[in-house]
Order: sequence, then structure tokens, then C-alpha cells
Amino acid sequence: MLISLFSEDTEARRAQTMTAKVNTTRGSASEKAVVAEHLNKLFKVTKGTLRRTKSQVVALKDVSFEVDYGELFGLVGPNGAGKTTTIKILTTMLIPTSGRATVLGYDVQKEVTRVRERIGIVLGGERGLYTRVSALDNLRYFADLYGVPVNVRNSRIKELLQFMGLWDRAKDRVETYSKGMKQRLHLARGLINDPQIIFLDEPTIGLDPEIARDTRDLIRKLVEKGKTVLLTTHYMFEADQLCQRVAVIRNGEIVALDTPSGLKKYVMDTSVVEVEGFGITENEVAKFKEVAGVLAVSADLSENKQVLKIQTPKGSEIISDVQQILKNSRIYDLKIKEPTLEDAYLRLVEGSVKEGSAR
Amino acid sequence: MNLLSPFRIFLSSAVFSFRAQFNWLYPPMWLTMKLAMTLSQMAFFVFVGQFLLATGNARPDIIAYIAIGNAIMAMSWNTVFAVVNITGDDKWGGTLTLLLATPAPRLPLFIGRAMLHVFDGMLSVAISFVFAVFLFGVNFGSTNALALLVVVFLTAFTMAGFGLLIGGFSFYFRDPMVFANIFTFILLIFCGVNFPIQALPQPLQYISYIFPLTYGIDAGRKAIGGATLIDISPLLGQMLIVGFISIILGYIFFQSFERAARKTGRIEAV
Amino acid sequence: MPQPLRVIYSAFRLAMLHWIADPQWVIPNVIAPFVFTFVALTLFKQATGPFGLYAVLGGGMMGMWGNTLYASGFAISFEKWQGTLEEVVATPANLLHVITGRSVSNALLGLTNMIAILVIAAMVFRVPLGVANPVLFGISMVLTLLSVSALGLIFASSFVLTRSAQVLTNGLEFPIYVVSGSMFPIALLPFWLHPASFILGPTWGIDAIRIAAGQESASLQFWLNIIGPEKTFLAFWLDVSVMLLITLAYLVIAAYLFKMVETKSRRDGSLEHA
Repeated sequence: MLISLFSEDTEARRAQTMTAKVNTTRGSASEKAVVAEHLNKLFKVTKGTLRRTKSQVVALKDVSFEVDYGELFGLVGPNGAGKTTTIKILTTMLIPTSGRATVLGYDVQKEVTRVRERIGIVLGGERGLYTRVSALDNLRYFADLYGVPVNVRNSRIKELLQFMGLWDRAKDRVETYSKGMKQRLHLARGLINDPQIIFLDEPTIGLDPEIARDTRDLIRKLVEKGKTVLLTTHYMFEADQLCQRVAVIRNGEIVALDTPSGLKKYVMDTSVVEVEGFGITENEVAKFKEVAGVLAVSADLSENKQVLKIQTPKGSEIISDVQQILKNSRIYDLKIKEPTLEDAYLRLVEGSVKEGSAR
Repeated sequence: MNLLSPFRIFLSSAVFSFRAQFNWLYPPMWLTMKLAMTLSQMAFFVFVGQFLLATGNARPDIIAYIAIGNAIMAMSWNTVFAVVNITGDDKWGGTLTLLLATPAPRLPLFIGRAMLHVFDGMLSVAISFVFAVFLFGVNFGSTNALALLVVVFLTAFTMAGFGLLIGGFSFYFRDPMVFANIFTFILLIFCGVNFPIQALPQPLQYISYIFPLTYGIDAGRKAIGGATLIDISPLLGQMLIVGFISIILGYIFFQSFERAARKTGRIEAV
Repeated sequence: MPQPLRVIYSAFRLAMLHWIADPQWVIPNVIAPFVFTFVALTLFKQATGPFGLYAVLGGGMMGMWGNTLYASGFAISFEKWQGTLEEVVATPANLLHVITGRSVSNALLGLTNMIAILVIAAMVFRVPLGVANPVLFGISMVLTLLSVSALGLIFASSFVLTRSAQVLTNGLEFPIYVVSGSMFPIALLPFWLHPASFILGPTWGIDAIRIAAGQESASLQFWLNIIGPEKTFLAFWLDVSVMLLITLAYLVIAAYLFKMVETKSRRDGSLEHA
């Protein structure tokens, strides 16, 4: 009987649950899918050739959070904030300096093999695949390493490749694949052992919009099937669309953890005034920062068009300031918008505030 | 000094080569490796010679013959191998495109890179001579020091030129490292390192003459035997001719590669 | 199939696929043995006695060594360059088993070098290739192959623990050819090098191979002095036993080193970059 990851056939799923014992057992502390407790990570860095200098980099500082079974959890933050470090600790690729974590109830340091058997990892990117051999060989290799039962291995590989739209190029060398195809192959590999929980590190980065959208649909579908998903991203709209809860991480610390709407409330007091114009210079942008009541200004200054985003509680009162400062430029459009998750994120990440502090 | 003056480029590329080599290598490690490699290469063939000697199958001067041959050959790692690899590193490291985009004149650039390796090569030969004397009892008593110094320098220089030639033509292939290996090791067969080239089958002997090392080792043995510069100058002359031909051919290869790369827009993964 | 064996086979298969994709990379690994043998054969041409076969067997041995050293030394580094080391470590498979598969494929490829040497020797140097006892010859070849693979595991792990894998690989090649007595009896080496020869499993292996080929071997006299004359057969098995013991020790050390490699890399984040 063909056991499909994507089958609607509940009989098949029940049979799968019974036969694949490994994948459905859970460890002792199993109320939560993921528990991270006070994770700290320090890296030692040495520089120089003849004179070597040592220093320490703090990658994670006291990171704690929990993820429920069947939840789609997001971890957002700027580059270098610690998202990938967190995922690597949870997926046993990295050992924390202190703190502990459990995945599906198993400790990531003490019960390493059990964790590895049950999780899927998608780090993505240009590396991480054997480029001189075919996609089929890549998947077959990892299927063997994961101990995927031999009787389902080949059919599952075919199914995954077909689903990812790679089946007709399955025998081609991975080095001939486009970036998007490689990303899809990464996804296929992440699912090869039919894991209970899947960790995705920036899964849609660098993908064409249609493929990115299909990927998001796939992620949603996985959660619908009962899987738990933890993903990292720096696309706010993606976190907003997909995630049930989002943790915001900055400089190795979690600065906020809430549902998307919960986080947005955080910037509810402010509106975002978006100004689109021509002839706006950096000088003028700087002047805005000095206006009383302006919380943050971000600007996108390209040759033909400049867009300013001003966060302020003043709302429409700011319009006079806008006209004053930009009197030498042309204003094409002016909008006052509801704050989005991106605005909340910018505030949390660029500002000096943490969740829970007074508004 | 004019920024693009050949001398300045020559100097800065030599320094760059030096730094590049040390980037992935601790100096103590580098020294250990140099010593271990030169010693064990010589030791291997010397012991084969000893084996023949012990079983009555060779003349007593075989040890000196082998030791000196290997000592002079030792520079090939620094000259041929390293020079080919530098160009290989450039290609793989992706810096070649950037390099070719500069207006710097090419010849001083590449010769500058090779010079470091010439002196490094001479150092290897000196170390090997030390091993030959103190470990394998080779007698340097009648050596004409000046002649030997000139031989070693010129051999290293011409072999670096040879390295440029191989480097130039290996640009067309995917893996210059493979060429570096082949062309350094075959020197052991063709250059009279362990046996006179007359021991090779007749047709193969002709190949020996394209390597500057063949002349260098011959001249080196003569210098150690007491020959003067005048005595060995015909050999040196032949070696220099072969060396310059290599440099010129190598340069032509580089230029044509650059032109071809400009046309097709493909440098990195030819 | 038990899981470890499955992992070893799968890694072996992947390694072979990579070799097929880039066959030219065998060249740097085996060129030294090939050239050294050619030189030895030329030197031995003037000698009377079965030196030709001696050189061929030695060259084959060196071929196995050379490939193992280079390919195994870089086994883990290769994974890092591809970016796959993290992904492989994150599977429930034991890294030791994964690299074992690769190591076996390397030793096997080293064997093809021996065949190439054999062919050239027979054609160019007209070396007669008869061996005294083909069965024992075959057995000793296979077992030596395994011993060399096991040593490859130690290289693979220890090279990752030090910063300069490339330096070590380059630097160790020639010394090993000297110390293992591939091309001359180790009795010729200074006495203080003898311990180094004896701890190398393949030194015993080449010895057993020579006995099976009907050749004079370094240890033969030594064993015969102990067990009595004419007991060549027994001497062979003594050589093999010592080699197997040493190989076992290698595997134990390798297992320990691999655990250390994995833990250290996971701790300092070096799984991703060298």
C-alpha cells in the first residue's frame, strides 16, 4: 500500500501511524513540541595570521520559548540576530553554552539520536546539497541516513520530487538546478523522513513570488496534517500570513513573543504616514527625526522616487510638518496607514523597547 | 613612483603571494612540511638505492647520484607546483576576473608572483643539501660553490618559468591542481633525478630536453664535482633558452586566455 | 540490513558516484605512487632477481595508501565545502559509519591504481607477474585494503581536529611511503624508525602479500627464526593476525576520535565552515 505524506486517506494515515512507531513516539516532557530554556551561546573568534587575537561573540542570550504541538511558530529578526543559531541548537547541530532545550520531549543534548530521527530540517541556500550528483541520489542518500524503511523509500522520494515539481529533472545533477529548484530540493529532503516537526530557516528567501507562494501553501498544508512547524524569516508579511505566534529576536535576545495581532497592538498607538515624493534628500529625512512626536523614520531613496515612512502618534497632525520640511520637493502621495507587523517589528528591532514595557 | 610601474607591481604581487600562502598555513607548520617532504622524498629513493647496493646491484656512487638529483629537484614543489597553483587559486577563488579587470601590465604581475617561489625553491634545495651531507654522507668536498649557487638560482628561475607555462595552459581546464601534480611528478622520471636519462627508452629521452631541470641537475652534479662556471656554461645556456621559451609561451597562453574569457564572458568555470 | 551497514553502503555508493563524476581527481592521489614505481622499476631493471614484482607490489601498496591518505584526509573537509556536513551530522546516522563508507571506496580506488601499475609494468618493463599462492594473495590484498581504510578513518577525524588538514595530507604522504617499507625492506631504515613501521597495519599487510607472492619479505626470516624453518604458511597468518589486531586498534581509536570531532564541531559551530 502506498503511504503518502499528502494523502487524504485517513485509513492510510492510521496505518502509517501504527507502522511507523519511531516517528510518533514522544519523550517524557512531551506537553510541548519545543521547549527552549535559557539558551545561551557564545562563540570564540580568532583573527589574524601571525598575531592571533581572540574574542567572544554572544550569539544568544537567555532565549526561552515554547511551541505547541501542531503550531506554526515564527522566529523573526534581522540578519545576525540569532535565528539560525536557535534553529541549529534545536536541531542538534550546535551545542548551547548553557541552558537546555527539548524537542518532542527529548533533550537535544542528552537524547540526540531520538531528536534527529523525528525532525526535519530545511536550512536551504546554495550549499548543503551534493551538487555533482542527481537530486534522486541526494534524496536516496539522506533517506538511507535517516533509516527510511526501504519499502517506502523509493515511492516517497518520487512523491516528494513530483510534488516539488522536480521529478522530470530528478536524474540531472544538482549543479544544473536553479536557485529555486535547489530550495525545493532542500524542502523535499527536509520531509524525507516524514518528521513530526519541521524546522525551516528562511524557506522563501530568494524564491520567485509564485514559488514562494506555493512554498507557503505547502507549509500551511503540513500544519493542517498535524505537523508542527518552526520557521524563521525576515519577511514580516510572511510571518503575519502564516504564523500563529511570532517571537522577535534581536541581538540574540527575544524582545517580544505574541500572536501577530498581539504584536501589532503594540504599535497601535502610532500610525504610519507614508509619503511618496521626488526630490527628497537625506537632509530632509534627518529633519524629520528631530520633529517632536516622531518615533521612527525609514526612507527608501531611489533615483526616481522616494518613499518615507514616519511612525508617529500624531496622526494627521504631522501633515503640516511634512509640508514644511518637504517644501522644496514634490509630494505625489500621502497615506496614513494602520500599523502592520512590519512596523511593530521595526519598532522592536530598531527602537530600544522590549515587549511589556510601558507604551 | 608611477602607480602602475612594473617594479611596483612586481614587488606588491610578490608580497601578496607570500601573504596568500600564509593565510591558511602557520609558519611552523609550513616549515615542518617543507622539511618532512624534502627529506622523505630523498630518503625514499636513497633507500631504494641502498637496497640495490645491498643486493650487489649497483655502484657505490649511486647514493650520491640519487641524493643530489633529489636535492635539486626539491625546488620543483616551490616553483612548478606552487606557481601553477597560484593561478589555480585565482581562478577558483574568483579573484581572477577582478585581477584581469585591472589595467596593470601582466608580465611584471606574474613574474612578481613567481619570484617568491624561486627563493623559496632555493631554500628547499639548500635544506636538501644539508640532509644529503649529514644524513646520507654525500661528499661536497670538491664543490665549486659559486658555480653551484648560479646553477641553483638559474634552475629555480627557469623552472618557475616552466610553472608559468603549465599554469597558463591549465587555465583552459577545470582543475589546474591536477596539472600541477602531473607536471611536478613526471620530473622524477624525465630529468635524470634518480637515473641518467639514457636509462629511458630512446623516444622518451627527447622529452627530457624540454624541462629546464634536466640541464640544471646535470650542471649541479658537475659543479659539486668541481666544475667551473665556464665548464657548465653550455648547459646553463641551453637551460636559459628553454626557460625563456617557457615564459614567453606561458605569457602567450595567459593573454589568449584573457582574450577568450573576455569574448565568452566565462572565466571562473571554464 | 542493519542500519549501520546500510549507512556504510549508502556512503560508499555516494562516494563512488562522486568519483565517477570527477574521475580526474584520482590523479593527484595516485600520481606519486605511480611515478615512484616507474622510477623504482627503472632502477631495478639493472638488477638480477624478482625485483620487478617487488616494485609492482610495493607500488600497488603505495597506490592504496596515497589514495586513502588524500581522499580520507579530505573526507570531512569535503563535506564542509559542500555545506553538507551539518545536514549529515543532524541525521540519526553515526558519522563514523558515514565516513567508513567513503573510506572503503577510497581504498578500493587505490586498488585500481595497483592494476594500472601492474599493466604498465607488464607491458613496458616486461615484468613477469606470477604469484606463488593466488588464494592467500587475494586474502592478504583484501585484508590490507581494510586495514588501510581503517587508517583512513583516523586521518579523516584527526585532520578535522587540526587546522591544517591540507598541510598534513601533503606532508604525510612521502614519509609514509618511506616508513611502510613498500619499496625496500624496513631493515634498511635506521632502528629508531622501526617502531613507526610496526604500528602501521599495512606494513604487515605488504609483508603478507609478499609472502603469498612467493617473495622474500622483511619479516619472513624473523618469524621463521621463531617458529622454525619451512613454515612459510604460518608466517603468513602471523603477519595477517598482527595486521588485524592493529586494524582493530585503529577502529577503536577512530570511533573515539569521531565522537570528539562531532562534539567539538557542534560546540564551536565549525560544522558549517572550516
